[in-house]
Amino acid sequence: MRANFIFSEVWIGLRRNLTMTIAVIVTVAIGMALLGIGLMINTQVSSMKNYWTDKVEISVFLCQKNSPFDKCKKGAATQAQKAALEQQIKGMTEVERVEFENQAQAYENFKQQYANNSVLVAATRPEDLPESFRIKLKDPENYGNVIETLQQAEGVSQVIDQRELVDNFFGFLGTLRSSALIVALIQVFAAILLIGNTVRLSAYNRRRETGIMRLVGASNLYIQAPFVLEGMIAGMIGGVISAVMLIAAKIVIFDGMQNYLVLATRMTWEDVGTVIALTMATGVFICMLASFVTLRRYLKV
Amino acid sequence: MFRLVGDEETPFVTVPPPRLACRDAPVIHFDNVTKVYPNQNRPALDHVSVDVDKGEFVFLVGPSGSGKSTFLRLILKEERPNGGSIHVAGKDLSRLSNFKVPHLRRRIGCVFQDFRLLPNKNVYENVAFALEVIGKPRRFIRKVVPEVVELVGLEGKAHRMPHELSGGEQQRVAMARAFVNRPMILLADEPTGNIDPATSIGIMKVLDRINRTGTTVVMATHDAAIVDSMRKRVVELEDGKIVRDQSRGVYGQAY
Repeated sequence: MRANFIFSEVWIGLRRNLTMTIAVIVTVAIGMALLGIGLMINTQVSSMKNYWTDKVEISVFLCQKNSPFDKCKKGAATQAQKAALEQQIKGMTEVERVEFENQAQAYENFKQQYANNSVLVAATRPEDLPESFRIKLKDPENYGNVIETLQQAEGVSQVIDQRELVDNFFGFLGTLRSSALIVALIQVFAAILLIGNTVRLSAYNRRRETGIMRLVGASNLYIQAPFVLEGMIAGMIGGVISAVMLIAAKIVIFDGMQNYLVLATRMTWEDVGTVIALTMATGVFICMLASFVTLRRYLKV
Repeated sequence: MFRLVGDEETPFVTVPPPRLACRDAPVIHFDNVTKVYPNQNRPALDHVSVDVDKGEFVFLVGPSGSGKSTFLRLILKEERPNGGSIHVAGKDLSRLSNFKVPHLRRRIGCVFQDFRLLPNKNVYENVAFALEVIGKPRRFIRKVVPEVVELVGLEGKAHRMPHELSGGEQQRVAMARAFVNRPMILLADEPTGNIDPATSIGIMKVLDRINRTGTTVVMATHDAAIVDSMRKRVVELEDGKIVRDQSRGVYGQAY
């Protein structure tokens, strides 16, 4: 009886303010989808960080015959310089191991990396690519003065820390995440105001009923439950829509990113599920809270 | 005349009459009660002391603004007094937490001048609503509502909508709703205010019938003819003070 009664009241309430209900649903859906995307970017970034910090290397490129660097005016690095450099690198405490990459190997890697760009590959000869030392650090976060020291060494054209490249990309993702979260926050704020208004309208529309309920001694919970449930159901529908949007985002954006960026690791459905559960819970909770707080103001019991 | 309800033979034995916490205590006890509304200099009630015993029928008379409605609102704990103490149904209202106010109101029925029916519900549903919202089981509602609809004289009209009823009939529905939970007290705020004198007599008969089941009735009214004909206790208020309290009184005796 109780449940029946409350749900019929909820249904009537939602139907009476249909336009407001739709506004709430849309706002919650967009807000929660953005919140979810922010969380998904977060997951993506942390999984990528784990994956990539193990793999980043410091590349020490050597001077070639026609290198356009000031340091390479004396011509290509000599065998003696290479040997000295290798000894110097091996002597550093931060270094775990070092590999030499000759021009043929460099060309192979280059071909692989730019497999899509046949014109570039065709225009490049192995002689154009620099030889390099690939350094793996013991602790990728701790490169000490390795880079500065090697920068000064004879025969070195350029030292590139891949970490910097990865960090740039993470920085970009971080900005994306922050923007998504800020917009989500604004949406949540809008949703709270909208829900407040909806509940107020609802309370006004049903002031006769609630007046009589008070009079005959219905408990506060009983009087308020339909209003709070109304907000919760609107929030839940919004949450379901945002879940659909998040699934679409996972397929289109995140899996798509995988195809274009060598850096990306794949996001699992498990991660998406967690994010959806989290956003839905947040949406429903916010709606419930907003309804409840407004009721305190507009439904004196 | 009409049959007394509440006797052992009547169908109402299924619903036990309300019991007092202490049998001898008055059902309504006002002790030196003062109520001043915010931003007003003159008190709505000024040191009012009055006792209403179980089963009494009391008319509350006096000009508009004399404090009749305030008196009723204080009983329901819709307002709090600024001074003095109020006991209703054996409970000290000043010590009754907000949480328990609904339970107090379940023991008090209310009838108003403007009926306050739900326009989209029929007679049966309007009466049943009062039980539904306090969580009574469906079986109980199906049993009790027709009995009360009959008691107020609306048998055969249970499925009419309020707009299909006359004012008098609508007020009967309101009384059925107020009484369906067998309250200990029935408060009536000018129940005949919107009803012609002939119909009012029927309304008063129903109130009398309800009173005879043991329910205390407090009725605020301007209707001199009704007060004079009923010969019940009359409490007259003027400017928030009790100027007359008379058993078996009439409306205009003070003038």
